Amino acid sequence: MSITFLLRKQEILLPIEKTLMVKEALQRLGYSSETHLVVRAGELLNDNEPLRDGDRVKLVPVISGG
Amino acid sequence: MPAMLCHRCDQMAAIRMKEHRLQFCKDHYIEWIIEQTEHVIHKYQMFTRHDRVLVAVSGGKDSLSLWDVLWKLNYQAEGMYINLGIEGDEHYSDKSESYARRFAEDRGLKLHVVNVRAQYGKTIPELARQKKWGQDRPCAVCGMVKRHIMNQAAQDSGSPILVTAHNLDDEAAVLLLNTMNWQVDLMRRQAPVLEAGGGLPRKAKPFCRLYERETAAYAVVRGIDYIEEECPHSDGSTQLYYKGILNRMEGDHAGYKLQFYASFLSARERLFGAKVVKEFEEGQTCPRCGQPTKTEGLCAFCKMTTFVG
Repeated sequence: MSITFLLRKQEILLPIEKTLMVKEALQRLGYSSETHLVVRAGELLNDNEPLRDGDRVKLVPVISGG
Repeated sequence: MPAMLCHRCDQMAAIRMKEHRLQFCKDHYIEWIIEQTEHVIHKYQMFTRHDRVLVAVSGGKDSLSLWDVLWKLNYQAEGMYINLGIEGDEHYSDKSESYARRFAEDRGLKLHVVNVRAQYGKTIPELARQKKWGQDRPCAVCGMVKRHIMNQAAQDSGSPILVTAHNLDDEAAVLLLNTMNWQVDLMRRQAPVLEAGGGLPRKAKPFCRLYERETAAYAVVRGIDYIEEECPHSDGSTQLYYKGILNRMEGDHAGYKLQFYASFLSARERLFGAKVVKEFEEGQTCPRCGQPTKTEGLCAFCKMTTFVG
């Protein structure tokens, strides 16, 4: 079981044992909802939305600057 | 875990903002961002619907979201894009220009474009390389060139108010940097509105109290296409370093960034004694362009571009 995260041009495969909430998945990836938004099929997901096996979701980096 | 519902209706929330103890569905989030922006414009008396304003647009999430909000609020807002000639693997400048152009075309808005190479003969990286002080600091050259061109464009376009999309994270990061270095003169000039003077236009930051996460979320829920790639020169930037520190603090104490910035705005009048803030108080102006300069003769921009010919 796994979830696929798309971050810019990178694909990240996260193995899971069960359904995860967005905030749990972000934590496992080393991110937080302060730094990344999660979007599935064009819809913004809140921290408590469940992510399931086979989901392909986009990670949107929040922080920019130079 | 119970479903997270919108605070204005019974739909599923798309976003939760711990710092405000609020959560909204997509439609009510859009409504809230527009209300907040309008509130800040009024609170700091930035501009009215009778004013023509020029929005500095980079093709990124913040500036396109701001232009979108001003458009929805029926302000007279034209855009200004500067193609800096930055390449990288992704043709960064040309790509970001295409996002800005598409945004304007889709909404029937006017976009002014300045191409640095076409106008001044060299790109930002080339200009930086020709200066000893710019060789390791292309961002310093870039900032100086952008400020000059935007100031000039605001005057040339007949829009005496320049609007930038600096968000709360930008403002808090700069404030922390300036505090760590006790840059009192820079702190004195940090405000949501800077009055015109010394050849500089009036400047306003309507997103200054919105978190960067909130402007990014607005772009997502509005379906705004923007350049997601970072400038290839931004790696290791000081601003990103301070944003990282502030986000770690925010993670432990929701609302910390807003408190830091808002408390500074409350204290700044007591600290510096002036309610009206000018970017340029008094001093010398460049004989060529009329913009402020720290030294006699040409300003740094005119010196740099004079050599380019």
